[in-house]
Amino acid sequence: MIKLIVFLPLLAALVAGLGNRMIGNVVAKAITTGALLTSCALSWPIFLAFVAGNASPSVTPLFTWMQSGGLDIAWSLRVDTLTAVMLVVVTSVSSLVHIYSWGYMDEDPDQPRFFAYLSLFTFAMLMLVTANNLVQMFFGWEGVGLASYLLIGFWFKKPSANAAAIKAFVVNRVGDLGFMLGIFGTFLVFGTVSIPDILAAAPGMAGSAITFLGMRLDTMTILTLLLFVGAMGKSAQLGLHTWLPDAMEGPTPVSALIHAATMVTAGVFMVCRLSPMFEAAPVAQGFVIFIGAATCLFAATVATTQTDIKRVIAYSTCSQLGYMFFAAGVGAYGAAMFHLFTHAFFKALLFLGAGSVIHAMHHEQDMRYYGALRKRIPLTFWAMVAGTLAITGVGIPGLAVGFAGFWSKDAILESAWAAGSLGVEGGHLAFLVGAFAALLTSFYSWRLIFLTFFGKARWTQSEHIAHALHDAHGDHHADSDHDNPPSQEDAGHEPAQHGPAAAGLSDGTGGYHPHESPWSMLVPLIVLSIGAVAAGQVFHHVFVDPEGGLAFWNGSIAFDAHLAHASHEVPTWVMFTPFVVMLTGLWIAYNNYIRDPGAPARFTAMFGPLYTFLLNKWYFDELYNVIFVRPAFWFGRLFWQRGDVGIIDRFGPDGAARAVQGGSVLTGRLQSGFLYTYALVMLLGLAGLATWAMVRF
Amino acid sequence: MIGLTHYLVVGAILFVLGVLGIFINRKNVIIILMAIELILLSVNINLVAFSAYLGDLVGQVFSMFVLTVAAGEAAIGLAILVIYFRGRGTIAVDDVNRMKG
Amino acid sequence: MNHDMSASLLLVAPELTLTLAGLALLIWAAFFGDRHATGISIAAVAALVGAGALTSLAPAAGGNAFDGLARVDAFSTFAHVLIYFAAAVAIIIAPRFFRAHTPGGHGLMRAEYPILIVFAAVGMGMMVSATDLMTLYVGLEMNSLAAYVLASFIRTDTRSAEAGLKYFVLGALASGILLYGMSLLYGFSGTTNFAGIAAAMGADFSGGLVFGLVFVLAGLAFKISAVPFHMWTPDVYEGAPTPVTAFFASAPKVAAMALTVRVCIEAFGPTTLDWQQIIIFLALASTILGAVGAIGQRNIKRLLAYSSINNVGFALIGLAAGSEAGVAATMSYMAVYVVMTLGSFLCILQLRDAGGAYVEDIARMAGLGKARPWLVGAIALFMFSLAGIPPLFGFWPKFLVFDAAVRAGLLPLAIIGALSSVISAFYYLKVIKTMAFDEAPADAPQWTAEGNAVETGLIGFTATAISPLGYLAIAPLAYLSGNAALALFR
Repeated sequence: MIKLIVFLPLLAALVAGLGNRMIGNVVAKAITTGALLTSCALSWPIFLAFVAGNASPSVTPLFTWMQSGGLDIAWSLRVDTLTAVMLVVVTSVSSLVHIYSWGYMDEDPDQPRFFAYLSLFTFAMLMLVTANNLVQMFFGWEGVGLASYLLIGFWFKKPSANAAAIKAFVVNRVGDLGFMLGIFGTFLVFGTVSIPDILAAAPGMAGSAITFLGMRLDTMTILTLLLFVGAMGKSAQLGLHTWLPDAMEGPTPVSALIHAATMVTAGVFMVCRLSPMFEAAPVAQGFVIFIGAATCLFAATVATTQTDIKRVIAYSTCSQLGYMFFAAGVGAYGAAMFHLFTHAFFKALLFLGAGSVIHAMHHEQDMRYYGALRKRIPLTFWAMVAGTLAITGVGIPGLAVGFAGFWSKDAILESAWAAGSLGVEGGHLAFLVGAFAALLTSFYSWRLIFLTFFGKARWTQSEHIAHALHDAHGDHHADSDHDNPPSQEDAGHEPAQHGPAAAGLSDGTGGYHPHESPWSMLVPLIVLSIGAVAAGQVFHHVFVDPEGGLAFWNGSIAFDAHLAHASHEVPTWVMFTPFVVMLTGLWIAYNNYIRDPGAPARFTAMFGPLYTFLLNKWYFDELYNVIFVRPAFWFGRLFWQRGDVGIIDRFGPDGAARAVQGGSVLTGRLQSGFLYTYALVMLLGLAGLATWAMVRF
Repeated sequence: MIGLTHYLVVGAILFVLGVLGIFINRKNVIIILMAIELILLSVNINLVAFSAYLGDLVGQVFSMFVLTVAAGEAAIGLAILVIYFRGRGTIAVDDVNRMKG
Repeated sequence: MNHDMSASLLLVAPELTLTLAGLALLIWAAFFGDRHATGISIAAVAALVGAGALTSLAPAAGGNAFDGLARVDAFSTFAHVLIYFAAAVAIIIAPRFFRAHTPGGHGLMRAEYPILIVFAAVGMGMMVSATDLMTLYVGLEMNSLAAYVLASFIRTDTRSAEAGLKYFVLGALASGILLYGMSLLYGFSGTTNFAGIAAAMGADFSGGLVFGLVFVLAGLAFKISAVPFHMWTPDVYEGAPTPVTAFFASAPKVAAMALTVRVCIEAFGPTTLDWQQIIIFLALASTILGAVGAIGQRNIKRLLAYSSINNVGFALIGLAAGSEAGVAATMSYMAVYVVMTLGSFLCILQLRDAGGAYVEDIARMAGLGKARPWLVGAIALFMFSLAGIPPLFGFWPKFLVFDAAVRAGLLPLAIIGALSSVISAFYYLKVIKTMAFDEAPADAPQWTAEGNAVETGLIGFTATAISPLGYLAIAPLAYLSGNAALALFR
């Protein structure tokens, strides 16, 4: 059964990808979507069996991959609680995204390719989560990276999409290098790449040291740090996060599936999967806490200033991943996985909702040109609200009633505080940072809602809307004739100067009529809304409860029941802090964008430098440009022109070619055509040989 | 008393003369043919001298073979020279360089 | 001195057959002249085939003939078959060439051509089974005298005459050097028999013997056109009629190489370390100069001349190893080389313009790929194989000789050999590139598509043999060449 779950998407991807135009759009879409729905239908029973506590971990061997000395790598599918959680997340979101894409990609000329990529991605992700050894995990890891690259650059005619795809690939290489080194090191230390064997041996290795370049280094710290670098790359953590916002160049369903729900959480999954290793390396855990908290804060601050709807959500994703990482860092792996689980639902929901808005607004992504959409696209509005309620963690602490994010985020914050109280360094700090980030989360999430759905319509300023009106002359199906890929970044931050003739209309709509999306897009929204509302309420007892968690996780992660217990007995103010900051954020957003729309402008005027700093994402891209990109180009040019052309080519290929050419000319000259030259050469040869033989003799 | 060494020295001198005749001469191909005969004769002197010295008839038999082959060689060489002269109208060694490189 | 004359005659039955056939054909030709050239050619080929069949009579353990003047064994048989095959092909491809209109040619197939080839084959047969200096010399000269005439076969063509003249003069010089060396070997060992010479060398390697060894090797190196005794090769190959060039590049090369191997192993065996150095030098110089010299060539025959120098160098690498495996590798190399080189020349013989004139200028072959794609495909196959590019069969013997050299501790030799094969790949590829990809020049010849069933069949056969299918022949080839090598080291 697990084989079906994993390989159906691959089969569908192959059929759709190779068949492409031969089998046509509908067949390709039907095959891939059908395969994913089947996978999903098969996954849920596995997960529910684990929830009910009547399933045991299993490993399904497939075949031997390579065997060389002590290195023994087999393809096999491991199913335990952790895998089961990931299975439902991946297959559910993926199948919903497949369905959603029927509507969203309806006008794209290249649909079989798109669906094949989506299915291929799903297969790779499933290989990753079912891996029983690090090398197979790496296979999946690279597979999702490849699929991500292909999908970000899906509209390959757009230079910005290509640039984003390359950026994602290159930045991920950095992380992958760390992961690879980590795998090599692990094999070196443990003599195996099999995950169960490594985890069994990991506690015994705590405190051991290896000598590298004359330095004594703690073995587990080095290994886990290297592995974590891989996780940072994939999960877009501070330092290696720059690719994620740019990855929004891809189609929105891709953003929802890959860059929100599944692939970017692979890092968290990996840390949880290898949690016993991290448990044996306190220094590395501290680093994980620091990076997680820093990312959480950084991304949340940036999200408050972005105007592109997808970028806001992208930074929000980045920030939420930070939560998961510092949860894992403090040892609350259950909470981390819980947040991963709930986040998958509400973040996919937000992305798909944003896609629906973008669809309705003729591919306009700038929130400054939205407004007053609540009445026009009500279903999308309510879905987005559900997602926002979930992400901001709305719930009532005392009564144990709340949306998904309430359960998981509160579990993380409480675990952080509890861990800090238990002596984990950085735990309290992580709590404070997380709480502040929660305030920012609440602010930017509601800001998104208010800007998009409330206030006055500001559509006329949008170039996209202008084009739509111009092209269709007010046709009700304004976007049906639009088969170009939506251009996103070129919307820019400057309002478009020119407007259509209808711009004079006073209501700001310019005569444009947004339409609710087709049902293929709305159904996934509804399903995900249910998940966003209920996932926390239904599953919190198995994920994070001390007793339920211990039984549920069943050793698949290093679940710390003691910590889980402690997190339920934090001071009341700690318990209520998330609630309070959530309300505060909501109030600020309401105050600024509904009650007094002029407030943001005044604020930016007052704190100009801070605003610019945040708007430019802490200048990370510019910094990297100066530190890495430009020197890399400089070095590249140095090696190319001085090193390659000047030295290697000159003395290597070119030099050899010139020597041969010269030799050829010389030989030709020697072959003078005269008998006496020939005889002379022969005799010289004879004399030389005779002399040499006599000397030797 | 004339011993083996004297014969060998004469043979060597004739051989060197023959070789020099091939590549110092730049005038006439006929001279080259004569030089070749000189080389073969030097070999014959060697063979016969060795034969006499060793008291072994094989060397003299060998020299008969060499003489025979030399005759055939001279005939063929002259024949080739004739057709060459017919075609080019010259037998100067310096002119025999239509093909080179 | 007690031996059975009839047993000796039976041992040399192939040479005997060829000699009698050659004499009979000579009388036939004397009576009926060139009108019967075709019949005489067919009879000559039949004689060669018969001689080839008669080699199967050779006793498995080998046998000495004429009181040690010659020896027939697996080694000589291996070489015989190759030589007769190449000689037969050289006769088969000739009539069409000579009858075609060639610049300065006479459009006539002469009856003495097949007869000369048959006598050359007799000489070569003697060379490879010679175990005595006298047999060696007579066989070599018999081959050479016929070859001088063949080189200048088109009497009205000054280039052919010049080729003959150069070949004759330098060949005579070389045989003089060889003879002088032989006289020294005889004088200082007291015998002309290989085994006796080996015994004398083993007992006392005097200065006279050293000189003798060097001179003999130099004389033989001329025949296999190893550098620096190669100078005649490009000129003669270019000037001689193409079928004759094909013959020169194949059969005499095998014979001389086999002779060199036999002399080195059987007569100079005890001084392996001394001649090894000389062979290494010859091998290196040949591979490098053969590769480098070919690059500037514009005439396809001249290019193949350098190619043969290059290939002989590779074959010598096997001999330089001085081991049984090395000798086996050398013989395998020669076998594959004969097939490759005959195939190449067969293809060149198809390159005629509308007027029937043969095209030898590589630059004029541009655009041939469009007119004769199959032919260019075959040429590409031969060139790639000559360059030793896997999976073509030409790679296999190269691998064998390198392997033998490495096993004999001659790693630098193998490395330099491999490097020079890289250089040689350049000009082979250049030929293919010119034919297949370059635009036809304005004065490009109008290629005729007329073919000849026999020649096309031969191209097909040789192309198949050197294609990856040739790997099927590895086992029998290894068996035969291994037996041949074993016969020398018995």
